[in-house]
Amino acid sequence: MQALILLLPLLFAIAAVRFVRKDYTRYIALIGSLTSLVLLVFISSGSYTIQLLNLGSYSLQISTNIAGINLMLLGIVLGIAPLVIFYSFGYMNIRSEQRRFYIEILAFEAAMLLFAMSYSFITLFIAWEFLSLTSYMLIGFWYEKESANKAARKAITTVFIGDICILAVIAIILSIAGTVNFNSAFAALQTRPGIDAIVAVLMIIAIFTKSAQFPFSEWLPDAMEGPTPVSAFLHSSTMVKAGIFAFVILLPIFSQVGFNSFIFYIAFITVVLATLNALKEKHVKRIIAYSTVQELGLMMLAISAGAVAAGVYFFFAQSFYKVLLFFSSGAIMEATEKTSIDETSGLKVNKIVYISTLFGILALAGFIPFDGFFASIGIGASFAGNIFIFAILSIIGMFTSIYAFRWMFLNSKKASPATITRYTSMPKSMVYSMVISAILTLIASAGFFYLGTFLFGNVYNGIGVAALNTTDILIESLIAIIGLIIAYIIYKKALRINSTFLSEVMNNGVIVNKAYEYFAAGLYGIAEGAFLFEESLSRLLDSFGIMFIDIAKLIRKASVGDINLYAIMLAVGIIILFVFVYIISGV
Amino acid sequence: MISFYIFGILCAGLLFGDLLLAIFSIKRVQLAFNLFILGIIGIIIIYIYYTGSSASILNIISFNPFSEFFALLFTVGVALINLIYYSFADDYRELSLLLTFSLIGMYVVAFSSTIPGIFIGLELMSIPTVFSVLLSKKSLEAATKLFIIAAISIAIFSFAMAINYGGSGAINLIESQYSTILLIAVILFIVSLGFEASIFPFNVLIPDIYEGSPAYITALLGGINKKVGFAALLQILILVFIVYHSAFIVIAILSVFTMFYGNIGALMQKNLKRIMAYSSISQAGYILIGIAVATSYSISGSLFQIFAHTFIFIGILAIMAVLEKRNISTIDGLSGLSEKNQFIAFALVLFMLSLVGLPLTTGFVGKVLIFLGAVSAGLAILAFLGIINSIISLYYYLRMILAIYSKGEKVQMIIVDNYVLSVIIICLAITILFGVFPQLMLGMINNAAAYLLHL
Repeated sequence: MQALILLLPLLFAIAAVRFVRKDYTRYIALIGSLTSLVLLVFISSGSYTIQLLNLGSYSLQISTNIAGINLMLLGIVLGIAPLVIFYSFGYMNIRSEQRRFYIEILAFEAAMLLFAMSYSFITLFIAWEFLSLTSYMLIGFWYEKESANKAARKAITTVFIGDICILAVIAIILSIAGTVNFNSAFAALQTRPGIDAIVAVLMIIAIFTKSAQFPFSEWLPDAMEGPTPVSAFLHSSTMVKAGIFAFVILLPIFSQVGFNSFIFYIAFITVVLATLNALKEKHVKRIIAYSTVQELGLMMLAISAGAVAAGVYFFFAQSFYKVLLFFSSGAIMEATEKTSIDETSGLKVNKIVYISTLFGILALAGFIPFDGFFASIGIGASFAGNIFIFAILSIIGMFTSIYAFRWMFLNSKKASPATITRYTSMPKSMVYSMVISAILTLIASAGFFYLGTFLFGNVYNGIGVAALNTTDILIESLIAIIGLIIAYIIYKKALRINSTFLSEVMNNGVIVNKAYEYFAAGLYGIAEGAFLFEESLSRLLDSFGIMFIDIAKLIRKASVGDINLYAIMLAVGIIILFVFVYIISGV
Repeated sequence: MISFYIFGILCAGLLFGDLLLAIFSIKRVQLAFNLFILGIIGIIIIYIYYTGSSASILNIISFNPFSEFFALLFTVGVALINLIYYSFADDYRELSLLLTFSLIGMYVVAFSSTIPGIFIGLELMSIPTVFSVLLSKKSLEAATKLFIIAAISIAIFSFAMAINYGGSGAINLIESQYSTILLIAVILFIVSLGFEASIFPFNVLIPDIYEGSPAYITALLGGINKKVGFAALLQILILVFIVYHSAFIVIAILSVFTMFYGNIGALMQKNLKRIMAYSSISQAGYILIGIAVATSYSISGSLFQIFAHTFIFIGILAIMAVLEKRNISTIDGLSGLSEKNQFIAFALVLFMLSLVGLPLTTGFVGKVLIFLGAVSAGLAILAFLGIINSIISLYYYLRMILAIYSKGEKVQMIIVDNYVLSVIIICLAITILFGVFPQLMLGMINNAAAYLLHL
């Protein structure tokens, strides 16, 4: 019960936003989310249970738990939400419908908080469902745009697959354990070989849909149709993290079934695909989105391979520089009014924006001392024993550095006067929230040394973040620097020479493609194949929809209210029923 | 025993009082009288339930938890319908009188302990309904269709009754022995009640009727009359023919078809009442799953779903009656509703999400119970198909929700009078209250299910 107090300020804020004058809505939203953040300090840890439904041998409880990883996720969500809302002050200022925006974003935060503290499958499901609905509203925020509608539909269709799976899991767990608490579920599953595999499969599908793993990753880049603060929130701390979080807390089930190697390979495919896509993509926000998919893959990869602490630290660190990079993307798109990195320019005009963004990029590329460096060194060091995986991870790291700096260089071209004015007169709230999140990327580095003992003191013992040593630091830095140099040669040099040939080559992406062929020729073939598979899967889902619509048309045509038709249906119905019963009962 | 007689006297008093008031008095007094008597009847039923005394009068009327649950449901539902009629119908006096007649029929179905009693009750209920549809001049076609359905249904029912009597020699609702001839009776009972309960393939005319009638009468048709069909179906199938449990697979198949027919049929519709007709067909499919599985969980689930859907449907149709008065009848017309009236927009969205099965609403509890019953009885496939259907249904509900929260071209406030507003608030309160605290209702429902299954 006590944990739910965290939700109260948000709910009050939603109610207040609904009634106050339009100019005050934003302040109410900010105060609400800040109050929740403050309350987090006073909340005592422990788990609480509310009985929802008691049916004798079966019972459904809403259980919450505040400890360890739940607390970490709560902290991330509560910390980033005020930043996002503060950023929206400037961003949404020029747009109408602020009231609807703030209501939806507060509801989204509340759903995510409930998710973060959930300790039973039913709590998980309730939060999951509310997350789906609110994210549908937010991604489709500009519903007048057909593309926004379509993206929202795509996101919710994918996530619904997960909903079905969780409902099925609830039914299974309830029928074997009688209750849906995580603890009793783990205990009950331990004695039921076979059933635990079914539960694991269903849960992993749900998790893959939410955290955008292959082959369900397509919805995430499309979800960029929402307003930028929404993307920032969605990608850094809420929606996509929900999947990883569920994976971590349900890890006992997956370990018991022995599923981890399968998950490892899926995550691996996700990482490779997303990296290649990030290199190819031109849309400012979508590059960062693909980068998120890649990072989610890396987290899954690490956690499934047993490097839980490394994965969770990545989870923690990624939130801060990702939110910063989305803030920057929003600022760039706002100032240049363009979306393709071929056309955007002038990042260097506003020094504060430029330096904050640089912090984010350096973190993404893995430069010491930003949190991204510690995140990637944690994962890299965990695989130091396996030279093959380590080599591939290093190449991935280098590509990450390349696309990070490509993004940076291409965004810093010379700008037109109009763009410069827009950069210099950028709303203060946008600039300051970027500065704050840039500072957070530095502070979050400290988490590398403390998070392990804080979270895993007694839960997942034995698998800590690998200790730092000089070789690792050198290798990791070298990888990032090589990426920087390559990006510099391809993108910066090409621009300075202004050679038509080079820019032609660059724009067509031939060099990028060549690079793949040299560095990862084999991988690229696999990636293409996987991409085709994913494409055909989404086509298949589409065709199901089309089939339903065709049947719907048929029904509409058939039921025009003709009495003759009715008589025929009646007669046929009775006859079929008789025949059927005759066959079944064998009389 | 005295309370049973008071109940009977009150019913008679309601009937005659309503008749006199319809002839002589003004509408307002009639409404007050109806609500007052219905309120007392409701209290008496609750009193009878809590004293736990079951009684059988002349072997044809029996008071038991099942009948008390349904009687209470019908009483509250009819009271709400009375309010809606009062606010929308021009000819409230006649409609209200007809509704009272119908209510007596519903009580007869609920309390009857014989099959002919159910027959009489269904007749008593459906004939006044046909007339009330007929009262609105525009819905002649719908009234005709409803009449045809009622006629065919009752013909088949009496045929089934005759076969049953020939086969078992009993007219009471007691468990019958297994014999081949009775299997025919089972099928015919399912078919005849399938009209009232809108089971595929006997529901082809249902969307026409729901669309053709005024919204305030559709609220009665889908909200209450359909539930009477289910009350009869439950009594006959579970109390009498539970011995044919192996043949209930037929009902399972029908339930799957009903769900898919309803949900897929609704996908492409534009007319709001038609969408609600298809949606209520699909809900009937979920309820049927529970009947087909026939364990205590699933029957509880069906009863809870019946309870939930009654109030959700009445709430939605009350809102649609408001919209209909302003000539809004399609999804496109919904656009900008949130700006025109925040409260009814919010209520409509909540009702729809509850129909989908959003947690913390009554719709979720009913579905969980039904699916849990199916899974624990080894019929997980039914639960799976049910969940698939919930997902399909989200598409048309979300279409409506997006329309509600989109910008309309012209903002014209919609003002709702207090009678309808109270109906919407009561339905919303029930949907949320019993969704968050289902335990409040589950006691009664479990007792009713236990009575049906002789537990």
